[in-house]
Amino acid sequence: MRNDFYPPGSVRALLNTDSVTPQTRDILNGRLQKKEIINPCFFNKEMFVTLRHICERLIPQPNRLHKVDLPGFLDEMLFKGEGNGWRYNQMPPDNEAFIKGMQGIEETSKLMFDAPFILLDITNQDKVLHSIQKDLAPGKTWQTIPSNLFFEELLAQLVEIYYSHPQAKEEIGEVAMADANGWQKIGLNELEPREPKALNK
Amino acid sequence: MKLYSENEIVDAVVIGTGAGGAPLLSRLAKAGLKVVALEAGEHWEPSKDFATDEVSQAKLFWTDERLSAGEDPLHFGNNNSGIGVGGSTLHYTAYVPRPQPDDFHLYSDFGVGVNWPIGYNDLEKYFDEIEQFLGVSGPADYLWGAKHKSSYPLPPLPLNGAAQLMKRGCDKLNIKTSPAANAALSAPYFQKDIGWRAACTNRGFCQAGCTIGAKANMDVTYIPLAVYHGSEVRSKSFVTEFELNNSDNISAVVYSFNGKMQRQKCKNVFLCAGAIETPRLLLINNIANSSGEVGKNFMAHTGMQVWGQFEEDIRPYKGIPGGLISEDTHRPKDADFAGGYLLQSIGVMPVTYASQVARARGLWGEALLQCMRGYNHTAGINILGDCLPYPNNYLELSDEMDSRGLPKPRIYFSIEENERRLNIHAEKILREIWSAAGADDIWSYNRNAHTIGTCRMGNDQQKAVVNSEGKSFDIPNLFIADNSVFPSALSANPALTIMALSLRIADCFLDKMKHR
Repeated sequence: MRNDFYPPGSVRALLNTDSVTPQTRDILNGRLQKKEIINPCFFNKEMFVTLRHICERLIPQPNRLHKVDLPGFLDEMLFKGEGNGWRYNQMPPDNEAFIKGMQGIEETSKLMFDAPFILLDITNQDKVLHSIQKDLAPGKTWQTIPSNLFFEELLAQLVEIYYSHPQAKEEIGEVAMADANGWQKIGLNELEPREPKALNK
Repeated sequence: MKLYSENEIVDAVVIGTGAGGAPLLSRLAKAGLKVVALEAGEHWEPSKDFATDEVSQAKLFWTDERLSAGEDPLHFGNNNSGIGVGGSTLHYTAYVPRPQPDDFHLYSDFGVGVNWPIGYNDLEKYFDEIEQFLGVSGPADYLWGAKHKSSYPLPPLPLNGAAQLMKRGCDKLNIKTSPAANAALSAPYFQKDIGWRAACTNRGFCQAGCTIGAKANMDVTYIPLAVYHGSEVRSKSFVTEFELNNSDNISAVVYSFNGKMQRQKCKNVFLCAGAIETPRLLLINNIANSSGEVGKNFMAHTGMQVWGQFEEDIRPYKGIPGGLISEDTHRPKDADFAGGYLLQSIGVMPVTYASQVARARGLWGEALLQCMRGYNHTAGINILGDCLPYPNNYLELSDEMDSRGLPKPRIYFSIEENERRLNIHAEKILREIWSAAGADDIWSYNRNAHTIGTCRMGNDQQKAVVNSEGKSFDIPNLFIADNSVFPSALSANPALTIMALSLRIADCFLDKMKHR
């Protein structure tokens, strides 16, 4: 497996050039400038704090001054109620599934370690999350929604939010947005000057 | 654009403007008929409305909720159904291989599945016509299937990293490959009655919408042709109901426009809403179903993907995603299953890839971040293979209502022994190709793609919903032209065949009208 690291700022530096179309620039700038959500609209405050801790385990951002506001983006998405076109038949509608799922995580945490999720150390937090992902989690909640499917939905939503954010794109050296004039060099090992090179190369 | 009054009895209403609706719309209009297309979504102006951004471009996907049941529940939404003038072609990858002649008689060859009531010969002239009209880019001589009467009008698009790597791997294993046929322009192209379209600039974001009109979506090809010939295209018009007269003909189509119910009087209806919305609409209205076959025989292509990471810089967001093809596995000699599959290289957009990594590999934490730091070194191969029809794969209406107050569809899908064997066969080859090409961290994603079946065409009205000319057995002025009428899945991407069927259904209709 590669383990490339790319310089920070690569996407932000390109956003104000003519390599990016105005409509693409507006959308990415909108994400960059979005203020962190303190008061959630969909989750209650307690759940929102737990969600923040879960996000740190699923998609850690330890060295970042301004983190991608994963809980905030998810809260906003669920509040708007924009679906993605399908759901597993065994799952309730998204708004119900995410509330129950968050309750289920707390229940499992208390059953496994006798403490709320946010007070667990990260090793135990990960144990809770693994048991939920593998459909082995204790708790009555999971009799009404399959824990593995909830975990898959939660993870997929967070991952889609994260990798659509310019800061995550910089992390993986992805500058697909800089295509206003198309790409000429598209073969193996062919890079255009605006494509960032990995630091460890 | 010509506009018709709702009180005027138009010759035809066409429901849906994708690969099924748009070609026949242009054909009927060209014949001088008064035609109105009703499209649920917007009429976009891609150069202004589209961004290079997967999340915001989700507006091209049909996002009304579908309930996904069965052992192998399908992920609808992206990749399966589209909305907007142009339908799913707005986000197809424009991969347009022809089906092979033997795809149409699987039952005769293997004793499973069903034969089509028509064959390759019935569609061949349409394949030729469509390829020329769309400006398909492809090899001068195609290596597999029936020899084409005319070559692809444009040379192939350039190979991106994934395509070069698949070629490298296949060369080592003596698997023949070829640049694929893609409905995206490798050079500027002139279409009669429409004008010039620009050449592809190698943006790899075909599935998030083409911003320059190089990809031959219906909104830059058959829709402008239809409008040129006098058709009206009404966007944001969601059809809910049919009014029938005393002789069991449809006399008007009812639809909502900006929340208001409207009705268009008409002499004929062409239903082209795709293999989910077409049967859903018929079931909601309880029509055209004396056979009981509406919603039955649902299929989705076997579409396994195998991914790997390579030392080379690939940057999977560049170039047409499906650059290379092999059909050496169309009827493999060592197969223990019916039918076969094709191989294609795949580039991939980052959010789509990350989402698959999350769902299929279940990676999170540092493992996820590390996998994604290899995104620029990632390439995939995909199969597109047969799927047989089974009685337990079907669509029904659920008790749950959507925002329009209509029942959400529930779709059952489980693969069975034939698909399992095909997948095992394919996975072995795909992994061998990627190993030979130098990949590490190889992993497979066992997925199914496309929506097919649910309003089967056939000769027996007890077992089919429409006849071989797309005409309903129950309602004399109702025609269906989309992927719902496919009796079998075909081991080729469906868009080209849907367009060919669409033109053939229009020609059969016009021919009958002439002789009436």
